[in-house]
Amino acid sequence: MKRNELLLAVALAAVVAGGTVLLPPVVGAQTEPGVPVEFVETSDGFDSPTGGGWDDVQTSTLPLSSAGADVPSANDVTVEELQVASVRTDERIYVRTSWADPTRDTSDSTVREFDDNVAIQLPSDSDEQPPIAMGSSDNPVNVWYWSGSGNSEELLAGGPGSTTPFEESQLRTEQEYADGRWFVVFSRPLDPDSSFALLPGSDDSSRTTIPRDDADLDVAVAVWNGSNMEVAGQKSASQWHRLAVSSGPPAYERFLWVIAGVAIVLTTIVTIEGVRRTRGDE
Amino acid sequence: MSSHTDSSQTVDLAEGVNHQVAMVMDLNKCIGCQTCTIACKTNWTDSGGREYMYWNNVETKPGAGYPRDWEELGGGWDDEGEERTPGELPEQEDYGAPWDFNHEQIMYEGSDEPLRPMDDAADWAPNWDEDEGAGEYPNSYYFYLPRICNHCTHPSCVEACPRSALYKREEDGIVLVDQDRCRGYRYCVEGCPYKKVYYNAMKKKSEKCIFCYPRIEGEGPEGEVRGPACAEDCPPQLRMVGYLDDEQGPIHKLVNEYEVAVRLHPEFRTEPNVYYIPPFAPPKHTQDGESTDEERIPREYLEELFGPKVNDALDTINRERQRVRNGGESELMELLNSDRSEKYRLEVFDEA
Repeated sequence: MKRNELLLAVALAAVVAGGTVLLPPVVGAQTEPGVPVEFVETSDGFDSPTGGGWDDVQTSTLPLSSAGADVPSANDVTVEELQVASVRTDERIYVRTSWADPTRDTSDSTVREFDDNVAIQLPSDSDEQPPIAMGSSDNPVNVWYWSGSGNSEELLAGGPGSTTPFEESQLRTEQEYADGRWFVVFSRPLDPDSSFALLPGSDDSSRTTIPRDDADLDVAVAVWNGSNMEVAGQKSASQWHRLAVSSGPPAYERFLWVIAGVAIVLTTIVTIEGVRRTRGDE
Repeated sequence: MSSHTDSSQTVDLAEGVNHQVAMVMDLNKCIGCQTCTIACKTNWTDSGGREYMYWNNVETKPGAGYPRDWEELGGGWDDEGEERTPGELPEQEDYGAPWDFNHEQIMYEGSDEPLRPMDDAADWAPNWDEDEGAGEYPNSYYFYLPRICNHCTHPSCVEACPRSALYKREEDGIVLVDQDRCRGYRYCVEGCPYKKVYYNAMKKKSEKCIFCYPRIEGEGPEGEVRGPACAEDCPPQLRMVGYLDDEQGPIHKLVNEYEVAVRLHPEFRTEPNVYYIPPFAPPKHTQDGESTDEERIPREYLEELFGPKVNDALDTINRERQRVRNGGESELMELLNSDRSEKYRLEVFDEA
């Protein structure tokens, strides 16, 4: 093998190795629009809205506008966008929402007080896309609902005005308010626990299962600003977006792909060189 | 609307309602003692986030009422009675808030002052303006106005709820809040022009007068059918309770035949099923104490409260009263002066 051929082989191996490391995320970002859900080995750093794990997770900005519901002052809403980031472990999905709200409203203890709220809407059946306004009776939605006064609820809805809490919520929420922004982390097991039925003893197929392997799930969000007396259908809501749930790859898999790529290139070059020498000997 | 018809009368009921409970309150008999208020409160609203609520209240008119200036807060329907006109939520202070007393000073700081409210304890409360009324001496005037939920035929609170948590009971038209469906949005609170739906911040749900339905179903004291506690406990027995479509009952006669029982603020167009016999007062006096022909309570004010029908109501009562004074007989006067046994007709539609 001549020196320049050796250099070419090394360069090729470097391109393959680099491509193996760099291309999947780039390609993924192009083919998984909406909100990517990265796989992480552990929930460390993701339980809390200010956990360090979130620093390395891609954040998506979802535009919001009035949901246009049939309630008074439906168009009088104040929040224009919401940021979402998400990861999953083998067991749970974590979704961090964040939005600007200069007023921190955590009480609804008098008749004119309303607290801040945020909600995440998912189809009950992950293969379906229900009507954006709370689904429909034959195509319902799950709603993960957080309120500033400290409650979180897991809800089922089959159209406007039909929201019903699941008997026991499997949802966990953590919130933080800093510098005029709310940060709220939702987490829930990927697989709903069938013992947490909407009605005791009933089949609980209406609770959303989060897919595990490269799969998309529709997601929508809504925000209420308590200071503006936003409640019910008077809310800033998004359209449907894609929650792109990733199966990985974990870091060690990438490392193996690098080794495999380099080995393939080197084997190819060695084979070519061998053939060439064999011909030269003739 | 559905209707019950005989040869002479038609009673309009809400769609899907078999019968309609109703109440007639004779304002000429109210002494403002608040026994009705306490009867209601001890039955239904003495704890659990209901402390500030008075499902039954008695307010002085003219006056700001409870909650303060409720008549100015909107709600109800437009002039055609088709589109709801959203109202405003009252301020919590307008309902009145618990007062701070000098417990700290007496209990821990050794003060020998009597127990009393702090100086800044309140500047408003229910009946803050009790007995103030209006007019100038010697012709000042006021009267008491007891109020409960009107269990309207066309209730704007029911229309206001995006979750259909409020509904009229099929059997008797009582308006109730389904506590399982309510999520505390409070559209009903702003939507009721009488401000007779209340927000329970502890439960995060709306609540209201239930017309003591367990009592009228026979689940009250001694397992007997009783009228609502506010009516039964009233010392002067100023309330009649029954069904609007009970055409043999006194309520139907007072409302539909003699038309002397009128609705409060009919312009809200919710079609209340609580009716009022309008108040009379002695005529105006001169400075020398001589009676004049001029009415003490201005008709314009009564029209503001009860609409133009109040004029015919007052005229009819005057005419019938004069008939009795002249030695004649009057069924209307007998109805208005009936004894307790005739004031409650609640079992007329019970299945045999």
